[in-house]
Amino acid sequence: LSCAQGAHPLLPLFFPLTVTSEQIEHLHRRFKQLSRDQLTIRKENFDSIPDLEFNPIRGKIVHAFFDKRNLRQESDGLADEINFEDFLTIMSYFRPIEMNMDEEQLDRFRKEKLKFLFHMYDSDHDGKITLQEYRNVVEELLSGNPHLEKESARSIADGAMMEAASICVGQMGPDQVYEGITFEDFLKMWQGIDIETKMHVRFLNMETIAHCY
Amino acid sequence: MFLLLPFDSLVVNLLGISITVLFTLLLVFIIVPAIFGVSFGIRKVYMKTLLKIFQWATLRIERGAKEKNHPLYKPYVNGIIAKEPMSLEEEIKEIRRSGSGKALDAPEFELSDIFYFCRKGIETIMDDEVTKRFSAEELESWNLLSRTNYNFQYISLRLTVLWGLGVLIRYCFLLPLRIALAFTGISLLVTGTTVVGYLPNGRCKEFLSKHVHLMCYRICVRALTAIITYHDRENRPRNGGICVANHTSPIDVIILASDGYYAMVGQIHGGLMGVIQRAMVKACPHVWFERSEVKDRHLVAKRLTEHVQDKSKLPILIFPEGTCINNTSVMMFKKGSFEIGATVYPVAIKYDPQFGDAFWNSSKYGMVTYLLRMMTSWAIVCSVWYLPPMTRQPEEDAVQFANRVKSAIARQGGLVDLLWDGGLKREKVKDTFKEEQQKLYSKMIVGNHEDRSRS
Repeated sequence: LSCAQGAHPLLPLFFPLTVTSEQIEHLHRRFKQLSRDQLTIRKENFDSIPDLEFNPIRGKIVHAFFDKRNLRQESDGLADEINFEDFLTIMSYFRPIEMNMDEEQLDRFRKEKLKFLFHMYDSDHDGKITLQEYRNVVEELLSGNPHLEKESARSIADGAMMEAASICVGQMGPDQVYEGITFEDFLKMWQGIDIETKMHVRFLNMETIAHCY
Repeated sequence: MFLLLPFDSLVVNLLGISITVLFTLLLVFIIVPAIFGVSFGIRKVYMKTLLKIFQWATLRIERGAKEKNHPLYKPYVNGIIAKEPMSLEEEIKEIRRSGSGKALDAPEFELSDIFYFCRKGIETIMDDEVTKRFSAEELESWNLLSRTNYNFQYISLRLTVLWGLGVLIRYCFLLPLRIALAFTGISLLVTGTTVVGYLPNGRCKEFLSKHVHLMCYRICVRALTAIITYHDRENRPRNGGICVANHTSPIDVIILASDGYYAMVGQIHGGLMGVIQRAMVKACPHVWFERSEVKDRHLVAKRLTEHVQDKSKLPILIFPEGTCINNTSVMMFKKGSFEIGATVYPVAIKYDPQFGDAFWNSSKYGMVTYLLRMMTSWAIVCSVWYLPPMTRQPEEDAVQFANRVKSAIARQGGLVDLLWDGGLKREKVKDTFKEEQQKLYSKMIVGNHEDRSRS
């Protein structure tokens, strides 16, 4: 892609935001760097980012890029490789909020971001976060600490799940089994947290005049 | 046919005369000063002229762009995304606070905690500190080299003509000149050191060896049109010490060795490099290792220690980073050279990227391609600072000492001091670094958990 004169063809992905062609150019350059000048990226290409190793949920983040539910495709499951358009689709979940959005747009915006996070928890794609899946996430987040016993991690997860259940279902009878957190329950738990103002990556303000001595 | 003959001999004569003139000029203006270590100042004048031309070119581009209302792009050295300045703890607390309104230390784990790591992960995928260090530093004005310019397009006819002229000068005039000089320099080095090697050991041999080395390095410096400014020359390394410098390109060796007489350390290569290395070691004791020996750290350390303890031997020149960084940062110094226990003389080398980018990305370009790029740039401009000598204090270990030296070099050269290991370019991250972030987070969660169960 060279510097085009008009609007970038992939701008509509970011609608209704004003992402500039420049920013897409930067992302494209980054994509080419990750893919080593190929047209698609596979999971292995993410191994070349050293800072990502820091991150305890690295596996889940990389997985999210290939999750067909996030790629807005009708089918389910995992893609083997993604192209630049898919890359931008995932990045669009992290676009920052805009001043002139109305209520409906804001709500849709928020739901999209939460859906992305929901998919991270729900690894078997059945639309519910079960106790086991919740435990997996907690264990991964705490996995770096060699001094932490598995039991502690497990009990933390169980405690958190119980709280989640109490928020979503209220008081449960002794025989009731909580199957799992559905997306609606998930939304309830995030009430009051302004995810849309926090879950974004903001581009630095780019001036467009060349420097001169 | 017959009409061509007189023209033919005329052409041949002209050619002969011009080549002779060229070589005389070469000899007088370049090689003789190199032998004696003086300079006519031609290169400085050249540099000033070039700067004026670059300024003019950039002004033209800006003016042309304003006229056409065409946006120009300023490349970013600092990254493209705004990273949040808050720490892990602060961010997670803020998320929780804005959420359930519960007491801060009561919940042990919240669903929202995952969000912080998710966002951090996406940030690093978008833009990454370390990978940025390994591509050539991006410039803010155009230096008439198309290889550093992917933003500026054809703006005006005048500029394109200027650029074309630049290409002509660089490839048709400067390049052959430089290749001729390099050839002269290298062959003089090989023959000179071999000849000196036949002499019996003594003061005479040392004197000659020193001057042969210096002369040939100076010729090579001129072959690259390197304009070097040395600062604080009174701190230059002495016998029995180790000279440590940051590493941007193979040219670093030539730059330092043209101002001082060092013993080199390295692996024996095959081919031309090997010939040069074998010749050099005849005249003076450099420390070359076979490929198999390089892996044996004890052997390497032993030989270096022996060399350093012999006060009659020359200071060793070492580049502890182990690989080429792109001259905006100084990466982790490997501790091997700092364990030997000799005085360390740090040297900071900083290249000015305006005239030609000296960075060698060894995974992208081979050595020959790299040298060609160097020889077709305008010039290599750099500054060398000799820092005061440092020794290891009793309470610090080799790693701390290495870091102290590294910080001193980074500070002097105006470089960014990074903790990352330069070997990252080729290998993966060491596991010890992985644990940091995870440990911090789990300490937070488990800390709360334990407090709760205790109360």
